[in-house]
Amino acid sequence: MSDHPILSANHLVKHFPTKAGVVRAVDDISFDIATGETLGLVGESGSGKTTTAQCVLGIYPPTAGEISFDGAPIGVVFSRRNKELKRRIRIVFQDPGSSLNPKRTIKQILSVPLKVHGMGSARERLSMMSELLQLVELPPTEYLYKHPQAIGGGEKQMVAIARALATNPRFVVLDEPTSALDVSVQGKIINLLMRLADELDLTYLFITHDLSLMRNVATRVAIMYLGKLCEIAPTPEFFRAPQHPYTKMLLSSIPVVTSEEEALKPEKIVSQGEIPSPVNIPTGCSFHLRCPVKMPICSKVDPEMQVLSDGHVVRCHLYGNDSSANVLS
Amino acid sequence: MDGLLAIRDLHVGFRIFEGKLRVLNGVQLDVREGERVGLIGETGCGKTTTVKSILRVLPMPPARVSGGEILYRGEDILKASRRRMQELRRHELTAIFQDPLQSLNPVFTIGTQLRDIVKDSAIGRGKRLSRRDVEAQCIQALQETGMPDPGRIMTNYPAQLSGGMRQRICIAEALSTNARLLLADEPTTNLDVTIQDQILRKLDELVEEKGASVVMITHSMGVVRDLTQRANIMYAGSIVETGMTHSLLEAPKHPYTQGLMASVPKLTGEGISDGIPGRIPNYLDPPPGCRFHPRCEHRMEICESEAPPLFSVGDAQHVACYLYREAA
Amino acid sequence: MQWEQRRADLKAMLAQRRLGVAKGWYKFSRNPLSVVGLVVLCIIVIAAIFAPYITPYPEHAKPYTNFSARSLPPSGMYWFGTDRVGRDIFSRVVHGYRFSLTIGLVVLSIGVAPGVILGLVAGYHQGTWIETAIMRITDVFLAVPPLVLALAITAMLTPKLINQMMAIALVWWPWYARLVFALASSLRSEYFVREAELTGASKLHIMFREILPNCLAPVMTKMTLDMGIVILLGATLSFIGLGVQPPKPGLGTMVAEGAKRLPGEWWGTIFPALAIVIVILAFNLVGDGLRDVFSVEEV
Repeated sequence: MSDHPILSANHLVKHFPTKAGVVRAVDDISFDIATGETLGLVGESGSGKTTTAQCVLGIYPPTAGEISFDGAPIGVVFSRRNKELKRRIRIVFQDPGSSLNPKRTIKQILSVPLKVHGMGSARERLSMMSELLQLVELPPTEYLYKHPQAIGGGEKQMVAIARALATNPRFVVLDEPTSALDVSVQGKIINLLMRLADELDLTYLFITHDLSLMRNVATRVAIMYLGKLCEIAPTPEFFRAPQHPYTKMLLSSIPVVTSEEEALKPEKIVSQGEIPSPVNIPTGCSFHLRCPVKMPICSKVDPEMQVLSDGHVVRCHLYGNDSSANVLS
Repeated sequence: MDGLLAIRDLHVGFRIFEGKLRVLNGVQLDVREGERVGLIGETGCGKTTTVKSILRVLPMPPARVSGGEILYRGEDILKASRRRMQELRRHELTAIFQDPLQSLNPVFTIGTQLRDIVKDSAIGRGKRLSRRDVEAQCIQALQETGMPDPGRIMTNYPAQLSGGMRQRICIAEALSTNARLLLADEPTTNLDVTIQDQILRKLDELVEEKGASVVMITHSMGVVRDLTQRANIMYAGSIVETGMTHSLLEAPKHPYTQGLMASVPKLTGEGISDGIPGRIPNYLDPPPGCRFHPRCEHRMEICESEAPPLFSVGDAQHVACYLYREAA
Repeated sequence: MQWEQRRADLKAMLAQRRLGVAKGWYKFSRNPLSVVGLVVLCIIVIAAIFAPYITPYPEHAKPYTNFSARSLPPSGMYWFGTDRVGRDIFSRVVHGYRFSLTIGLVVLSIGVAPGVILGLVAGYHQGTWIETAIMRITDVFLAVPPLVLALAITAMLTPKLINQMMAIALVWWPWYARLVFALASSLRSEYFVREAELTGASKLHIMFREILPNCLAPVMTKMTLDMGIVILLGATLSFIGLGVQPPKPGLGTMVAEGAKRLPGEWWGTIFPALAIVIVILAFNLVGDGLRDVFSVEEV
């Protein structure tokens, strides 16, 4: 692993002006992703995780702040992004049913990235496609000529992964890659992704709402709420000793299947109220309306990100410089 | 055994271009009064078909019931007349589905939809409600599900509300009829985790209060663990294991259930198993005998020719697997 | 090695196509009326193609008079009777189908493609000036009733078959533009389109290779249903005297000629009129069936 981060966001802001008001989808977030790691991004509706991914991919230019990839700034509107970036940063979408064009065969689908980036002659492409399918453990002769409807959800997602890897990328955004799939199929795909990360030296931005999955996949986890980062920590610490009240609330709400897991969950915090709309973000700390441990300062002042230990940051007044509760419990 | 709902050996198929899809292959299910039962199964196992069969909303030309009975309080509703079915759907059976956007009519306000339901369910009972009564019942139903400001919600359209609120409305609609049996088909799959938690708790509360029974259909074992007393595991059109939820999840017996449990990512962080090899069977030409046998590492000769019945393995637990034949 | 792969390629593709066709036929044949429509349509098309060889009096379709046999009612010799000038109406009707079908084919060939392409471009560029420009022009054409516009154009030019066809084609493309616009603008937000954009595919590729294939089904269904309407429009123009000119046996022209003789010599008008009705009905039934073929059934 090299020591400079492959992707870094610095005070990234993305606002969307709408008739109802300004949607503050991403509201000043900063994070780094090191080469070869898997950063998990967790958040509920309106958290801004999808918009963050879209900014990384270049679908939207940032309203303020910058993103850099491999040291170079990339925060420009998509039409100005160079092709090289489109080759090196790829995405796997959530719903394989709609990310594969139903009227095209798998061969046609896989040929698009190869053709666009001029990879090999027509003949070479056929063997490249076979190799790609073999990489995701799908027998080429059977699958190349089928239409997406003829294959199952798990297999479709494998094709989507093969397509993402077709251009030898360095960075892949995985947007809920297994949420639409059954649990018995999920394992194979996740393990495949992890293996490929190793073999092909890939870095992942892994977005999911499934925290149990995150526990087994991510090297670090970042949690967002209404456009801001609440906490980032290395995975074991994130789950063992979460600090932010929202993190604790989320972790205590997930349904688990064994009693060992139940014991690992933080104490039950009953969530109340709906998630506010990003048009109407509360003043001060955006979480204060639902926070079980809110203090008077929380409704007035937005907290700063505090460094708790190496790699663990939290944005909460409980851990402010002036607070006495400055310990990892 | 007299329970509220008893499905016995249900066989349902669909006629399509390539032939006949033999989906439901002898489903056995029991629900008692006031009981909460989980039905766990993955995509394509037939759980939605089962729900639709109970409500009798399957499109009958392609679908066909080729055997079995569904007994509701002893009455075979597969043979019920259309009028009787309507009565049942008005007063006894109700359902919540996965996507509230599809269950709620986008062009009518919540108030209109809720009032219609309340009025309908009163008619059958021979009651005539005044407009004020109807209104009061609607507001009460919304309040019971924890909606803030029910009066305003009544004037909103579904598109103006969040997913969690919409689902709460569907629950309000379902429970306002005072039905005895609630069929919940993946009601919280599309919702955020914290909202899901709230809704499931509320559902739990309300069902407890009204003494209704619930069939909670989901692919999430965690949800079943939190909410139900008994659980059924469904695979390829039949129930392969059933028992008290906690004991079933702590010590699953059927190889499929064990495979599922192993595939679920755990908070303990030990990694994820590779899942269960193979695919769900092709219903056009399903494997003979036990439908799981091609994917089962414990398969024996008999599994390939005869479908196993549900063997009893201890306290209220049954497994459809020849590994447990002796225990019976 | 390459050869084997190519052959496997081709074989697999053909196998899929064959399967698709078989499935399509299954869905089509679920509705018996569609099959009836298809059979009738086939008969009409074959009859029209081979008209000179299968009709009893093919020369009656050309300039011909036989006043001794004029205005005879339907009989064994003249199945649909004869007209004022002594020509066999049956032969003329079958030849008339040639004009009708030609009009349909030509109009749709000229009119559909530009409409589809314009709609595609407008739909993909929804929200930009391109969309506005294209769709407002489309709106202008749609604002004028088709018959009136066709009339105006044909009246300006000399009344000939070719001009009639151009006139109708000019009126026809906007409907396709609108249809494809609606489809394309909703498909634009599909994940597979986004993925192609993110990969860096050109706009041309996205429009024609990703979006267009998903628009074809409704377009084809509409084309089939439109055949009927175009034929009717053509017959109407001929009826007024602006289309197929006598002595040519256009169906509308024949209806006009015979109309003066109603109700006494009904065969002069009724048979050509029935012929028009039957061909339109057949196209409509086939169109219905096509719609079933393209519908995706949920199980």
